[in-house]
Amino acid sequence: MGIQLEHVSYTYDARSPLRQTALRDVELDLAEGALTGIAGSSGSGKSTLLQLLNGILLPTEGSVKVLDVRLNAGEKLPKLAPLRKRVGLVFQFPEQQLFARTLEEDLVFGPLNFGASPEEAAASARKALEAMGLEESLLGRHPLQLSGGQRRKAAIASVLAMEPDILVLDEPGATLDQVSRTELIRLLHRLCKEEGKTVIIVTHRLDELLPYADRWIIMHDGRPVFQGAARGLVDTAAKLPDYGLSVPLSIRCWHELETAYGLQAEEPCLSPAALAERAMQLMEADARKELNLCVKSC
Amino acid sequence: MNRVKTRPPNGRSAVGNQVNFTAAGGKEHVAARMAEQTDMVLLDNVSFAYDGQHEDIKNVCLAIGRGEWVTLAGANGCGKSTLIRLMNGLLRARCGCISIGGVRLESGTVGVIRQKVGMVFQNPDNQFIGATVEEDMAFGLEGMCLGAEEIGSRITRYAMRLGISGLLHRHPQELSGGQKQRAALAAILAMEPELIILDEASSMLDEKARGEMLELLREMHREERYTLLSITHDAEEIAASQRVLVMDRGRLTADLAPRELFRNGDLLRLCRMELPFRLQLAQELEKRGIPPVPEGDPAGTAAYPVTEVMRKWAFNWSM
Repeated sequence: MGIQLEHVSYTYDARSPLRQTALRDVELDLAEGALTGIAGSSGSGKSTLLQLLNGILLPTEGSVKVLDVRLNAGEKLPKLAPLRKRVGLVFQFPEQQLFARTLEEDLVFGPLNFGASPEEAAASARKALEAMGLEESLLGRHPLQLSGGQRRKAAIASVLAMEPDILVLDEPGATLDQVSRTELIRLLHRLCKEEGKTVIIVTHRLDELLPYADRWIIMHDGRPVFQGAARGLVDTAAKLPDYGLSVPLSIRCWHELETAYGLQAEEPCLSPAALAERAMQLMEADARKELNLCVKSC
Repeated sequence: MNRVKTRPPNGRSAVGNQVNFTAAGGKEHVAARMAEQTDMVLLDNVSFAYDGQHEDIKNVCLAIGRGEWVTLAGANGCGKSTLIRLMNGLLRARCGCISIGGVRLESGTVGVIRQKVGMVFQNPDNQFIGATVEEDMAFGLEGMCLGAEEIGSRITRYAMRLGISGLLHRHPQELSGGQKQRAALAAILAMEPELIILDEASSMLDEKARGEMLELLREMHREERYTLLSITHDAEEIAASQRVLVMDRGRLTADLAPRELFRNGDLLRLCRMELPFRLQLAQELEKRGIPPVPEGDPAGTAAYPVTEVMRKWAFNWSM
């Protein structure tokens, strides 16, 4: 089923002189059970796109289909609670979604709201807290008394606690320390691969997500200008600067290796370890070839 | 004036680069500088507890010279944002002494000090006041009692510098996250404060905008009129600064040059930092017996000869 956007446009303040179109005639298909990365410069429509996925924003034109729910522009809304139970959205700023008196209340709010018993909700909350590496001693704190990074982890945990089928995260790694960012990406990757969750992540740091993402969407000026796997992104990387993005270092290194060894259409290795391993294999194969040539000519 | 080159390596212990800021030497040094009153930031034995009991900031002594560019690093929740909020009186220290630009922070001097300190927060929504970006920029300038012409000229100048000229008539809430952060920074820069404190101000920016902001910081540093203190997890931003302060559980635990931090595995772990991509790749290659090609020496050294095979992809690992 997945997620399909058909001719979707979204305009803020559509009926006022301040109208501003954030998405233009978007056609998108997001596969279920995949980890999709979305990138694009500031103002390209990424956050607007995400908010269409659980009905926080409704399309001003076109149709959004998420799982078995269809949201058509201008039509009466279906009940959104079942959709919101299945699609968990982590906002760009954690302050926008933390509202309870304590972190614990915030974490159990979602599960309770969707019908879990207090015991089940507490268990989900603790599991999410642990997954995000937050200490239990923070449970009694007011969410806004947490540090910026802890607050962001808390916001992510509050969505994880609801155990949605589709996890949608807007810049989840911003303001986290680097190790926490890597841990978060690995956690989301694991949830996707082991528990079959659909994960959609907006990121400004392509390098970090490239080794994990199954698919990429590049947004520019309210439209997806690229949709596809990492291989396709590697092939079209030269265009990224036109979309206000710089070419990720891992792609630049892979290009260097491709040129040096004349590789063609090979699945790219984009983590430092994978890149080094592939380079090593190529060097060894070259050395063997030279040795064979040497033996033959002798 | 840029005093950086003449600064003594204040407070550093003889053992490596780790610093015990509570050591008597460090304290005396800060006390002596308190008397001088020439530094931009002076903290003497500052402690703070949100709940009044458990200290979140513990006995911090720190001196930052005028014109310096300092980054503040550390794991999430170690007290970085708390520390900087003490510097302009947003939080009040439980004990210790804080002095900014030669003025001691007291209840009567908070106003003067806030004119000297421009702060850009993690979440730009926390600092928008105006109904448009232009009004928001004008708000601070009107508060400084500047003339209309000067206000107009500063808004134009700094909006252009931050690439938000086209957004001046928009409501801050209509902007994307990255645009908001640039608008917040523009409003602060327009006030031309002496000390600019950035609390992960580039965290929401895309890579290109982050690069542009780094260039802006470099430019500002070259102008020598700003002291820059930036909280960041960004390896490149740390590398571009002159000095890194490392915090751990409310204490300052190291004060060193960025390149020293990147060579210190223990400190990197403490800050929960990872090496920049190129250095990670270089490490992975070295693990597999492929040494980096030494700069300016394509043939390698006797210890690490570069073979023909390796030279096919002479990965340049320098940053």
